[in-house]
Amino acid sequence: MACLGDLRRVDDHDPLDRPPSAAYRPGVAYDEMYDKDAGVRAHYAALQSRISTLGAGELADRQRTLEQSFLLQGITFTVYGAETSTEQIIPTDLFPRIIPAAEWAKIEAGLAQRLQALNLFLADIYGDQIILKDGVVPRDLVLGAPAYRREMQGLYVPHKAYANVCGSDLIRNEAGEFVVLEDNLRVPSGVSYMLANRDAAKRTFPGTYRTSGVRSIERYPDMLLATLKSLAAEWRPNPQVVVLTPGVYNSAYYEHAYLARLMGAPLVEGRDLVVHDNLVYMRTTVGLKRVDVIYRRVDDDYIDHLTFRRDSALGAAGLFNAYRAGNVVIANAPGAGVADDKAVYAYVPEIIRYYLDQEPILSNVETYLCREPKQLGYVLDNLDKLVVKAVGASGGYGMLVGPHASAQERSDFAQQLKADPSNYIAQPTIQLSTAPCLVDGAIEPRHVDLRPFILCGDKIVVTPGALTRVALKRGSLVVNSSQGGGSKDTWVLMGENDTAAAGDQPA
Amino acid sequence: MMLARVADSLYWMGRYIERAEHVSRLSDVMLTASLDATGDAPRAARTALGASEDIDEGKTAVDVALSLILDREDPGSVIVSVARARENARQVRDQITSETWERLNLLFLRITSPDAKRQFDQRAVTYLHEVISDLHLFKGAVDSTMSHGEGWRFLMLGIYLERAQLIARLLDASFGEAAQGSPLSDHLSQMGLLRMACALEPYLRVYTADIQPRLIQEFLLFNEDFPRSIRFSTARIEEHLRALAGHGNVQASGTPERLAGRLSSRLRFADLEETASSGAGGLLATISQDCGRIHEAIYGAFVAYPLEQHLPT
Repeated sequence: MACLGDLRRVDDHDPLDRPPSAAYRPGVAYDEMYDKDAGVRAHYAALQSRISTLGAGELADRQRTLEQSFLLQGITFTVYGAETSTEQIIPTDLFPRIIPAAEWAKIEAGLAQRLQALNLFLADIYGDQIILKDGVVPRDLVLGAPAYRREMQGLYVPHKAYANVCGSDLIRNEAGEFVVLEDNLRVPSGVSYMLANRDAAKRTFPGTYRTSGVRSIERYPDMLLATLKSLAAEWRPNPQVVVLTPGVYNSAYYEHAYLARLMGAPLVEGRDLVVHDNLVYMRTTVGLKRVDVIYRRVDDDYIDHLTFRRDSALGAAGLFNAYRAGNVVIANAPGAGVADDKAVYAYVPEIIRYYLDQEPILSNVETYLCREPKQLGYVLDNLDKLVVKAVGASGGYGMLVGPHASAQERSDFAQQLKADPSNYIAQPTIQLSTAPCLVDGAIEPRHVDLRPFILCGDKIVVTPGALTRVALKRGSLVVNSSQGGGSKDTWVLMGENDTAAAGDQPA
Repeated sequence: MMLARVADSLYWMGRYIERAEHVSRLSDVMLTASLDATGDAPRAARTALGASEDIDEGKTAVDVALSLILDREDPGSVIVSVARARENARQVRDQITSETWERLNLLFLRITSPDAKRQFDQRAVTYLHEVISDLHLFKGAVDSTMSHGEGWRFLMLGIYLERAQLIARLLDASFGEAAQGSPLSDHLSQMGLLRMACALEPYLRVYTADIQPRLIQEFLLFNEDFPRSIRFSTARIEEHLRALAGHGNVQASGTPERLAGRLSSRLRFADLEETASSGAGGLLATISQDCGRIHEAIYGAFVAYPLEQHLPT
């Protein structure tokens, strides 16, 4: 989501001399809490009435308590300075973002449909490649994608589930419709923040939480464990699941340890693993213990330096061969990233139609493929309105935010585009929806996205909750934590058919 | 069954925690002694430093204490020990309870906060008192929230091995070869020594206020019930190693268990009179050496064992 740039400024106002919520003025984007006529949306009514009873001081107190608890739990990342290193928490906002049951039902169905189709696509790509033969997706686009792994061709993958843990990025456009911006099929992170935010929100607004009928997400860790266990061979009755982390210096280390702890699975590093005769073991205090399923939080490139990158020591030598031999399961499967490639993304609606013979429930953001001459022409003509991204890059590199760029930058970028059009895609700039956030003592609208988490083993489970990422800078549309983004809890409300017990079951 | 790396981290976490507590207490006693105008302060400081590191004359007790507590460059300082304990805890965050982690993290945040130096300057003794209390709370959380299984035993092994070595070093600095022929003789320094071992009150209950070098050594070396005596520590080391050997079937774990059993027996059956006549120096040196051997044996048996022995054939 590092793509949309700082495009809109909310009108200035002086928040401090008013009650914190009186100053709230949504802009042109869809607002999660207020409708167009500044009326509170029904599903936000309880929260709004609670907030309006709290003064600025009380809100600030609650925010401080919240931050303190994150710091104490060690939900931090390390900022290395010249002399000392300090630890900082990911900024967290105390107001939950609320999604009504009906909207969630659509998101849930759409995400399940999408992941089902993408896994079928991956099984096809790494199998007979029929979709390529049928010309639905261009062959060179898939086989030339940086995340395509030739080594995976023809390998057995349990349940044909290549992407087992998926974290899609959704945004809500000006019309109030949720659309998919990105599928994350590699090692999506953020689920620990989803769970930690929920713990915090329960303490911050206990009464509102209780009366609102929020669906529980507490079962995520055991669902994840069940998903991972479902991948193990059936003749291994009590499979050993481990979480593979790059180590304590990784920025998501907290999450790796958190998931391992809540699943009761050992948190291993590459150096703890030994591969012998195509079997994977971990070194324990009582000798070597066989490993069956590896939930790896290490990128494809680093899991086995004999097969992939040679300069990496984060994985275990010989791991891929053991995988190839079917003696260990790696989740997500290596090469799953080819299905979340930025150029393949444009074909996902077609992929859904092709495999499932269904219309996509969730739409894509309109995407122009510069490899197509016609679309390239359109992109070049409309550079001032579009966001152009390099296919292989991420984190905001190799990107042009048209409305923000100077004429010179645009014409320079046009040259690059023409030189290597197949490396670029373009999308219109979209106003993400806004939600109320506490900023310097005042409640202000900030742009948010939505990252739900989907599990896929023997079945697909959509967790009834999500990480809502927040662009804390006023008017900014960039929600990445590396660029001043924060997060907040996401409440998915129970519908008439949901009971508290069913709240955490798959639909 | 647990990861070898994790066992190693838990073990070191225990060692660093114990070290942090010991150095905090040395500094505390040293500072308190320096308040008394009786002229014994330098001696107390020398004992403390002799037991912790090199002596740098010309520094005031407060300077010395400050660097012992907050100097990030000094590998023996409390801040470094706490930071390393926490670093190890982070490595095994999935193996320790949240209660345990939060106690340690709280202490870490307190001692690394930019405000720490000011707090120390203003009320050093109170500050040290709080640090020590925090460490006790940490140990309490370990004891009352962690399963007393394998991981906990590695942590306790670290604590007791470190403790045995630190007390041996303290005794050596006071009465052994490191005292350089001038063992502690005056009453106040001897009380200071007991305080540094957190032993004053338990000592008084056994021997009353009759404080003598021979009795101090007897107490800190051989007392069966005092948790900071070397005998108590080595008995725990032996106990934990025996239990660990029961967890698995590593033949090599016989080595640390045997070493610990020998050391423990040595202390259990030591002849007080003989020790008193020949000086404690010899025994202290043996204890120190044996602790070092046990440390290496633990590493060899549980952590860095040769893979060939364990590969399926």
